[in-house]
Amino acid sequence: MTTTQGTLDLAEPAPVRWRQHAVTAGRIWLAVVLLAAWKIGADAAGPVYAADPFKVLQRIVEDTASGALIRHIYVTLRLAAIGFAIGCLFGVALPFLLRRMPRLTTAVEPYIMASVGVPKYALVPLFILWFGIDDAPKLWLVGLLVFYPVFIAVFAGIRNVDRRLINMARVAGASEAAISREVVWNSLLPFFFASLKIALPRAVSAAIIGEFLVGNEGLGYLIEHSRQSFDTTGVFAGIAVATALVLVINAVLERIDRRFSAWRPTDRHMEL
Amino acid sequence: MTGQPLLEVDDLSKRFAARAGRDAPAWVIQGLSFSVSDGEFLTIIGPSGSGKTTLLNMIAQIDTASGGAVRFQSQLAPIADPKALNPGLSCRIGYVTQEDNLLPWRTTLQNVLFPLKVQGRLNDKTRAHAEMLIRAVGLAGFERHYPHELSGGMRKRASLIRTLVYDPPVILMDEPFGALDAQTRTQLQEDLLRLWELGRKTIIFVTHDIAEAIALGDRTLVLTRAPASIAGEHAITMPRPRDIRGIMTHPDFSSLYQRIRAQVQ
Repeated sequence: MTTTQGTLDLAEPAPVRWRQHAVTAGRIWLAVVLLAAWKIGADAAGPVYAADPFKVLQRIVEDTASGALIRHIYVTLRLAAIGFAIGCLFGVALPFLLRRMPRLTTAVEPYIMASVGVPKYALVPLFILWFGIDDAPKLWLVGLLVFYPVFIAVFAGIRNVDRRLINMARVAGASEAAISREVVWNSLLPFFFASLKIALPRAVSAAIIGEFLVGNEGLGYLIEHSRQSFDTTGVFAGIAVATALVLVINAVLERIDRRFSAWRPTDRHMEL
Repeated sequence: MTGQPLLEVDDLSKRFAARAGRDAPAWVIQGLSFSVSDGEFLTIIGPSGSGKTTLLNMIAQIDTASGGAVRFQSQLAPIADPKALNPGLSCRIGYVTQEDNLLPWRTTLQNVLFPLKVQGRLNDKTRAHAEMLIRAVGLAGFERHYPHELSGGMRKRASLIRTLVYDPPVILMDEPFGALDAQTRTQLQEDLLRLWELGRKTIIFVTHDIAEAIALGDRTLVLTRAPASIAGEHAITMPRPRDIRGIMTHPDFSSLYQRIRAQVQ
């Protein structure tokens, strides 16, 4: 794909390139408009309800310089990352185990699907009751919110694996482990990445919500603490940083996805 | 070709379970027997829907039989019990399926090396053999391409040498050139014959094309409509190496074609 892509780019006619520049210019213009709207809206609403975008930026710079913001980001990211790793591990491993046990799968499937419907945020008070007020209840929340999309996608992905490829691999002498690794895993990668696009931002959101409720560090704490001390600029700064964080994570994920799906004959124009 | 049969199919039967709304389970194959000797190129002709793929699936041990036996070097293959099936009979039966079944996320070279890799037999010698095969079928220069970047004929070649690369004593081929245009098809038939002359594997080649069956085989079997059994057997005595493009003008061709034609319903 990369080679044909390259030649296509070279052969691209000038009007198309001009149009791309127009799109970029339009984007910048839109950003300026949105920023202006924010500024005007914030001025109209007053400092108690909305923060001036330039003051928010100034706050982010100040807090970054003092190191406080970095610490909050680190705490939230750490929580999100560990919770994500746990949720992801179970979300991937469980379907692979169930693959070997079709009868058990049929038996437990309705229960797993019913448990999807439990509102996970509503469980936080229980988690606090059971696991205390350290990281544990927050990790449970993040883990569960990551587990479900990953589990459902990987489960569907495994069902979708081409039987003919599995038969080919068996005839060629591949062990069951080799088939899981090579055929099943690679077949479900697109499903897996699609689920990560949901799960990764969710992990950060869940970590922030967890911090609203428990603890005294992290972006969620920063936002909630600022609100309690009528520091609207702080609330906005926290939201802005959290948004930027999710965007960066998505960009990294996009990169990894592209690397792993280089083989796929995708239509670039169809990508979200 | 003489000698002990390498592979025997004895009174083989297959029926699929009755589906709801359909009264009787349908027999696809009933009482099918034949044998192949070592180094023989056997072709099997059957009308479409005559259970050719089912037959090969049973020999390859990816599908169970409802009755009968398959023997490899006089040893019974565990063909009745789905749990005991041994697909590929421990790498002794290779299978080139109708679809190329290449791994779409692997390059041509990785696909060809796949059986060696999973069998733990990938070394300098087998790798050199694989590269020789890639050159022999004209895939040199496309080693790093993904399957979707190859033409249908190239994918077929890749899937063909993916089986040849690990040298199974018996190779099953299920209409491998069915979906190709006439030109590519002839080219691939020539490639196949050339590779076969080099190694003289035992090949069971299934097709619905009478001319192809005559051009490639030492012997051809004609199957009846489902439930499939043997309708006729013909030795093909035309000398080798054969000229695929000129085979139609061979004096024996036309009468043999007519005789087979009469048996294919």
